[in-house]
Amino acid sequence: MNLEQQLELQAWVDGELSSADATRVAQFVGANAEASALVAELRMTKSCLVGNEPEVKLPESGDFYWSKIRREIERTARAEPEAATLSWAFAWRRLIAPLAGVAALVFIAVVSINQFQQPLVDDSAKNLVEVENLSEDIGSISYKSQAENMFVVYVYKKDYESESNLKSEPIDDGFFQ
Amino acid sequence: MATKPEKPAVPDEKLVRRSQRGDMVAFEELLARHRDKIYARAFSMMRNEEDAVDLSQEAWVKGWQRLKQFHGDSSFVTWMTRIVINLCLDQLRKHKRQRAESIEHLDQELGGVERQMPTVTVNPTEGLERSELRARIDRALKLLSHEHRTVLILHEFEDLEYKEIAKRMECSIGTVMSRLFYARRKMANLMASYKREEMG
Repeated sequence: MNLEQQLELQAWVDGELSSADATRVAQFVGANAEASALVAELRMTKSCLVGNEPEVKLPESGDFYWSKIRREIERTARAEPEAATLSWAFAWRRLIAPLAGVAALVFIAVVSINQFQQPLVDDSAKNLVEVENLSEDIGSISYKSQAENMFVVYVYKKDYESESNLKSEPIDDGFFQ
Repeated sequence: MATKPEKPAVPDEKLVRRSQRGDMVAFEELLARHRDKIYARAFSMMRNEEDAVDLSQEAWVKGWQRLKQFHGDSSFVTWMTRIVINLCLDQLRKHKRQRAESIEHLDQELGGVERQMPTVTVNPTEGLERSELRARIDRALKLLSHEHRTVLILHEFEDLEYKEIAKRMECSIGTVMSRLFYARRKMANLMASYKREEMG
């Protein structure tokens, strides 16, 4: 018998075959002494093991074991609201950053359009060389070109360290529900 | 004077419902009832007391955190056993990346060795007391690799089908079948050798 046949015999013993395959294998076993002996061995091993798993006792006192578990439950319960609050603040900040950038661009666009459309009543606009940065997450570089009568602002998102330690652990089910 | 009848134990389902409402005393009672079984499952997979204690404790903590996800489709202890099995499998995968494979284990994985083992025809466990049988099974399980022992445990002691074992162990059904076959043949031959030792 080759390995494939042997594995099929095992699948038959374990009830993993379709009824058609099971019938075919049963006939094969009935007619083949080697197959019959292997099936007998597999069944014997199976019957030895089922219900005879070695018994093992916890190697420490129940109270001590529980006290460690309880401490950990309480510790993670305390950490969760803090993480949720920080996570909320972090999410809000991430929303504020692009909004602030958009607001800055709109402000700049309005200023620039006004400069093009209306004659300057005074010289104060041409001295405007900086745009106040409304967000700590957004950086900006600005310059005014007198010759081109143009005011350019370059807005970019600053890199900041990701707060991966605040991420909640993904729920891992991994088995049938 | 008549003795007071013992109060019947509160069923697990009731303790689970109380625990789901935040009653830690109820959860402690569940733990007291089932801690040995959960620890035993972890130990049978890890074969290391320290790892088994740590992983079984982690399972209980996760069990508490996920209690609201338990809907009673299986028994509480079955549900907890699945949690600890998944934790053990994760740990074994981490260990596998770190540990060097022995030549013997590589032989086991490559396969073919089990085909050279003679077929055991006489039941080597006949007449054994249950405690002695369990001791011999324990002795034989120690000699299997983690992968072969795991597949044997999941099939024979947890009664999982090939497909479910393959999913949990993140391998193919074919791999499950060949590992199970090797593990069973090895167990049979080891049990036969222990019988021969006993008979001198």
